[in-house]
Amino acid sequence: MKFFIWGVLPYIALFMLIFGTAFRYWKFERGWTSKSSEFLEKSSLKYAGPMFHLGLLMAFGGHVIGILIPKYFTEAAGIDEHVYHMIALAGGIPAGILFLGGFLLLMVRRFGKDRMQVNTSQMDRVLYLVLFLTIVSGFAGTLLNIPGAFDYRTTISPWFRSILAFSPDISLMETVPPVFRLHMMMWMITAFIFPFTRLVHCLSFPFTYFFRSPIVYRKK
Amino acid sequence: MRIKAQVSMVMNLDKCLGCHTCSITCKNVWTNRPGAEYMYFNNVETKPGIGYPKNWEDQEKWKGGWKVENGELALRSGSNKAIRLLKLFYHPDQPELDDYYEPWTYDYETLIHTKRKNHQPVARPRSLITQKRMDIKWGPNWEDDLASPETSRQDVNLKNMGQKIAVEYQDLFMKYLPRLCNHCLNPACVAACPSGAIYKRDEDGVVLISQDVCRGWRHCVPACPYKKIYYNWKTNKAEKCVFCYPRVEDGLPTVCTDTCPGRIRYNGILLYDMDRVTEAASAEEKDVYRKVKDIILDPKDPEVQKAAKEAGIPDAFIHAAERSPIYKIVKEWDLALPLHPEFRTLPMVWYIPPLSPIIKEVEAATYLPDAEEMRIPVAYLASLFSAGDEGPVRQSLARLLEIRTYMRSKLTEEEPPKLPLAGDQYEAMYRLLAIAKRKDRIVLPAGIQDKSHEDRRFLQGSAGYSCPGGC
Repeated sequence: MKFFIWGVLPYIALFMLIFGTAFRYWKFERGWTSKSSEFLEKSSLKYAGPMFHLGLLMAFGGHVIGILIPKYFTEAAGIDEHVYHMIALAGGIPAGILFLGGFLLLMVRRFGKDRMQVNTSQMDRVLYLVLFLTIVSGFAGTLLNIPGAFDYRTTISPWFRSILAFSPDISLMETVPPVFRLHMMMWMITAFIFPFTRLVHCLSFPFTYFFRSPIVYRKK
Repeated sequence: MRIKAQVSMVMNLDKCLGCHTCSITCKNVWTNRPGAEYMYFNNVETKPGIGYPKNWEDQEKWKGGWKVENGELALRSGSNKAIRLLKLFYHPDQPELDDYYEPWTYDYETLIHTKRKNHQPVARPRSLITQKRMDIKWGPNWEDDLASPETSRQDVNLKNMGQKIAVEYQDLFMKYLPRLCNHCLNPACVAACPSGAIYKRDEDGVVLISQDVCRGWRHCVPACPYKKIYYNWKTNKAEKCVFCYPRVEDGLPTVCTDTCPGRIRYNGILLYDMDRVTEAASAEEKDVYRKVKDIILDPKDPEVQKAAKEAGIPDAFIHAAERSPIYKIVKEWDLALPLHPEFRTLPMVWYIPPLSPIIKEVEAATYLPDAEEMRIPVAYLASLFSAGDEGPVRQSLARLLEIRTYMRSKLTEEEPPKLPLAGDQYEAMYRLLAIAKRKDRIVLPAGIQDKSHEDRRFLQGSAGYSCPGGC
């Protein structure tokens, strides 16, 4: 069972994330959209939307640093565990406040406003629940770990890298506290449902806009 | 010189009777779907009025169209692309549903299924968005025939005139303004689209949105100064007037043109010089109209024809351009003007400004009035059609009156007064504006060019102008 959860499930999730998303793009691009609801409900989006997305980007950046950069790298650069932890908290707590705060405002908007009902699909409801648990478990982990008793950079991070290296080391997950385990489960669920949700729009950030000419002509 | 072909439309407002047939037939063909209930690719506004969506002309509010910044053409929504992209998360200038109106239907069922009562059953309005009961407070045509004077007074063109709207009944004026996508030469929506989903079709300049590539970033909606791009709340992608391209490809007019009872609309081809579009769009506000007329080329000029052939424009397009009613009205006779040229998108739908009744004071003494003696102030028309420059409007109105003077003299068999153009020109204008047949009003090249009949039959229904797999 342990092997399935920490050794197999991540691959199922990542497989869906990559190939499911590619398949959707290839076959169902017509439905690939940010699913913006600003048109139906504008004023309540003013702070919620930017807050959520800024918090998300900050949190994402923190995760990339915390997971992909091995501990001996930062230590070789002269950043010891305590300093690293302080930096992580200084970035992580504001990110969490923005991310969770923005998300709560978006939830109030989505489930409290009449017109939003027509923009909310069954999959959106599932997604809101999954995202809620993901963000809460992640932020709770950060807050509960303020004393720094648990070092995810010697457990979760190498485990994740072992997944990416196709040699999963499930023993690394044995000492992980429950709140972090929940967070791990949640990202796998998020990755699994990713291709079926509106989340795909994050892959469409229009970088090409910077390089193209203003007026586009196209021949069929 | 790089020549491109552009399908274009002229509307003779002098003959518009404000019946909304164009809007209805367009709606029935293109926007009678969930998510599109509120959209009118073509709508008819009564001017003065704030229009649909509310105050669409007020670019202080919406920041649509282009501006010239340090001699460079830039989107009014900001010349810095990175800052503009920050608005992906919340666009402060995006219109919302209530800026248009909340679409509704009525509970017709209650009329049939209510139990026997003392009072007649009533079909109450129900929102087409939320399906809940609603109060109707605004509609797509709330100001029809000056029905909403409070809002009509807020028309920005009246402010531009620096003049208060006439409140005396005998001084009131109004006119109709049918509006659709202008399929501009310098479209702001195309430039603002982060995904590159909006494009000008190379063959005929129709501006289209790829429904596959659109990601619903919504930057096109505020960028279009005419507010002719609509956000579909159900598919979460943007939609707009397609100039009825499936019909136009077959040489048929757009639906709004075809169904117009007043026959005010003309469809045809223009040839223009693509290299000078930026120059025209960045001209002084009041020169944009003249400059855009300059880049429209004479299709009968052999040089132009040669260059057009080199640019790969099919013969059928060049022949259609030679007979184009649009070219005659816009370029030869200076009759039609673009709507708000100061937005700098170089619209390709043109309007012949309307004559209007003679004002009260001079009514008794005048038979054919001057521009000043008509009810609609020239300054008002100039604010709409020539960035406040009264010259082009006066020119056009004078010409319309000259036609009448000439035709009257024919009827009364008097010697015609001295007029700026030759008689046969007025005769031609009269024919095209008053009694033209369908084949003269609508000159569009049909079908895929340079293909045999057999090939065309094989390709029928498979693609747009060029064929699948390339040909």
